[in-house]
Amino acid sequence: MTSIDVRDLTKEYGTRRAVDHLTFSVRPGRVTGFLGPNGAGKSTTMRLVLGLDRPTSGAATVGGRAYASLNEPLRHVGALLDAHAAHGSRTGRDHLRVLAASNRIPVRRVDEVLEETGIASVARRRVRTYSLGMRQRLGIAAALLGDPGVVMLDEPSNGLDPEGIIWIRELLRRLAAEGRTVLVSSHLMNETASFADHLVVLGRGRLLADTPMREFIDARVQPRVRIRTTDPTALKRVLARHGHDAVEHADGYWSVHHARVDDIGLLTSAAGVPILELAADEGTLEQAYLDLTASEAEFTAPPQEV
Amino acid sequence: MEFTPVLRSEWLKIRTLRSLCGTLLAVFAATTAFSALAGLSGSSDPDFDPLFTSLSGVMPGQIAAIAFGAMAVSTEYHGNGIRLSLAAVPRRGRWFAAKVTVIAVPALAVGLVTAFASLLAARAGLGSAANGLTVAEQARGVVGCGVYLMLMALFAAGLTALLRSGVATLSLLIPFILVVSFVIGDAAGGITDFLPDRAGQVVLHETYDGTPGPWTGLAVTALWTAAALLAGAWRLRRRDA
Repeated sequence: MTSIDVRDLTKEYGTRRAVDHLTFSVRPGRVTGFLGPNGAGKSTTMRLVLGLDRPTSGAATVGGRAYASLNEPLRHVGALLDAHAAHGSRTGRDHLRVLAASNRIPVRRVDEVLEETGIASVARRRVRTYSLGMRQRLGIAAALLGDPGVVMLDEPSNGLDPEGIIWIRELLRRLAAEGRTVLVSSHLMNETASFADHLVVLGRGRLLADTPMREFIDARVQPRVRIRTTDPTALKRVLARHGHDAVEHADGYWSVHHARVDDIGLLTSAAGVPILELAADEGTLEQAYLDLTASEAEFTAPPQEV
Repeated sequence: MEFTPVLRSEWLKIRTLRSLCGTLLAVFAATTAFSALAGLSGSSDPDFDPLFTSLSGVMPGQIAAIAFGAMAVSTEYHGNGIRLSLAAVPRRGRWFAAKVTVIAVPALAVGLVTAFASLLAARAGLGSAANGLTVAEQARGVVGCGVYLMLMALFAAGLTALLRSGVATLSLLIPFILVVSFVIGDAAGGITDFLPDRAGQVVLHETYDGTPGPWTGLAVTALWTAAALLAGAWRLRRRDA
């Protein structure tokens, strides 16, 4: 299968550097979440990969080749950049037929992706009558048209309703399970946490992180154990004896920092402390992301207009 | 990438936009209707030229041809649709060549049919006043008119690719054709005879004096068109999409 390789990629618009010596790879078989605040260079990077913008220096390749050199590129890479790219006066089906024709994709695929993205019933309506969620699905349908090994989606959950968000999550998981290379940009942390295996984080056009999502969180957020008991005194005593520190929260539970449930569970049961609830309080992607951005000095400066 | 699928895709784009088909229809309707009216309004003018009178509907009709060429390109810039088009066909030169072809062919076909219909409609009104026209002159007028309409559509297409905006193209070309060329062109000869529209219109006249002649005039318009298309292609290839 094919991966996306970005090597020392730099893009300047006038004096503004949108992408700054970026190097990373997106591997097949997993969903890579592409994170960063607005203006961090996510969309620019995607346009550079697609050969739409010319890099100032460096290169981006798909499967080792420049996108522009691909024969019938929609069969290799499917991308959603902008849900508004479809012309409002065309029907959704005609929009896809036009794209399919240019890459010799059979019309049968048009009807398949319309079915797959759940917009078959509105396929013969003009795109201008579509809701944002429907346009987003049409954009995803266009990305899937050529059954590509690489799928790149820029903010795909924009405008989707709750069912749509669940649908896109399952779609992304499935695409990765089929061995495809999946890159999905987002600025929504909880959303990304629900589908990503791996993360590439940008800030001001530079690479801040390129790690598996679990590692990214574990490295930045200390694990905690959440515990409820009927006998706080006994709990505190047993924890203190083993060097743990318990903090009480207002709504009646205690949290133990730098600890794992496996250890705390054994300790408390051995000491006969009555336990009502014992749970791992795992760090969230949002906490880890905020920790990362806080440690980036640049982000603490007042935001500049981009 | 092969050219034929790209061509098919671009042709499908034209066919699936009702507004584009509408402007082609407008070329036919406006040109024929105004030519028929000109035929009815008689031949009392001392400068009366039966061939030009029969094809004079082109003056308003060409606006629709320009709109067709401009819109066929400007629809790509709508909502950054151009990115989707160039992601599907990254060879930009080839893509633009296909785009130009699917503008040229229908514009020429509609132009020829329109010119022929205009001639018939106007001659019905003119009656014996147009009897002096030879078959060769009429054939020259019809073919020249078709080619002229195609060249104006392509001129607008090239400008739109250069300016990346149909509105900018139309607000440049339409005042130019309606006002500048019309007013200045009637006032003086010389350099104005080489303006893109004036030069190409020589072919629509039965009698003409000096340079450019009917075919050289069309060639001048073709040069303008080629320059606009090359400028548009240059912008498309050089710029970020």
